[in-house]
Amino acid sequence: MSRLNPQIAAIVECTIPVALLVSVPARALAQQQAFQQDPVDQYGSHFLTVVIFIGVGLVLYSLFRYRGKDVGPISWGLLIAGAIVFPMILSGVGTILVFERVKTVQLCGSCHLTMKSYVDDMMNPNSNSLAAVHYTNRYIAENQCYECHTSYGMSGTLEAKKQGIIDIYKYYTRTFQLPLQLRHPYRDGDCLKCHAGATKFIAAHEETQERIFAGKLTCMQCHAETNPAHNVGRADLVGQRFNHRSNR
Amino acid sequence: MNAPSIRTIELDPRIIRGTLIGTQVLALIVYLLGAIFLFRASGGTLFLFSVAAPALILLATLALAGVALYRYLRRSSLFAFALFEPDDVILQQGDEADCAYFIQQGEVEVIRRDEEVETVLALLGKGEHFGETALISNAPHHATVRAKTRVRVAMLGKRKFLHMLRFVHPAQGDLMSSMNQQATEQAAKRAKSAAQSRKDSGE
Repeated sequence: MSRLNPQIAAIVECTIPVALLVSVPARALAQQQAFQQDPVDQYGSHFLTVVIFIGVGLVLYSLFRYRGKDVGPISWGLLIAGAIVFPMILSGVGTILVFERVKTVQLCGSCHLTMKSYVDDMMNPNSNSLAAVHYTNRYIAENQCYECHTSYGMSGTLEAKKQGIIDIYKYYTRTFQLPLQLRHPYRDGDCLKCHAGATKFIAAHEETQERIFAGKLTCMQCHAETNPAHNVGRADLVGQRFNHRSNR
Repeated sequence: MNAPSIRTIELDPRIIRGTLIGTQVLALIVYLLGAIFLFRASGGTLFLFSVAAPALILLATLALAGVALYRYLRRSSLFAFALFEPDDVILQQGDEADCAYFIQQGEVEVIRRDEEVETVLALLGKGEHFGETALISNAPHHATVRAKTRVRVAMLGKRKFLHMLRFVHPAQGDLMSSMNQQATEQAAKRAKSAAQSRKDSGE
């Protein structure tokens, strides 16, 4: 390295760790099966990896080459590109990924810590809960929390996020109560948005369909008896790290 | 001629340099937040990337815009400014002229050196100017100017000075009258000095 031009050596020295750093997300993503990858997430991640790679390279080159001096149009170009343009692209395109990834089970579970038992139950192949049946059989391919707990469109997502922020507040102020209660009765629409019109649904609900659509009979009135939404009892919640105050 | 009523903020170059390095460090933090979010999407990393990163970008943009604006204002400003401590030589006799100097604060001595003899030709203060004769005549400075007290001067480059003379006629007249007055005073001073020398040598 010492035989190289110092500037080139500096670039190479910067580039190698940066390349290692930004290749990690790409490798992490590759662990999924190709046909299971969300194309938005996949291509978005690759694009942002390149953006990070170039941006970090520009900033480090500018820092090594000019050391904070603005000596001409090239140094200004590097400054603007590395410190403004590429971060803006990263943040702008990254927002699309944020909206994609915010729906994943992993991400829901990382914030809604009081619901860990619910997530565990959903992933339990021996559980008979509706959540587990839908998850373990892959009736819902991905974003399982999101699919059942948010309604259609942007307003559904925003409403879910708003409620989520309230949950975070309650978590940190220890003002939540166990066992967790839904704020309102579970919306039939969140079941029917997938099931309504399905052959199996029509065959099984021939007599009750009209009442269900009229809102006179709810899904959970019948299904909760044999298959609760989540098979989580109070015993599952007691003793968890988060509930030491609420259990007093 | 009155002192030029120019106000400017002189920033320490270290502040500007620190700001530019700071914006790049902020950008590196944004890239780091982005890489962490890409590698491990959780509530915390998502929050940092979607909330903290835009805030850092905004901060970096404002800082860079501030430096760019400052540079633009400095570049488009007619005058450059300089501070001199007592006994600092502002311009040297025989040097090429590149600026006209307008005293904003303090006093300077105009000194001519002839054959190892230094003669103080004039004492100039706030609102007066020097260095312009050499610009007009396109000749080296005929005298040295030295700060007598702490001096702040506004400096007008040769090109800008000649443009000003060409296009701002009142300035031309004002300057010529001032130069004429200075020349008269200096000539009188020199004559007095020469008479004194003759008198001294006659004795």
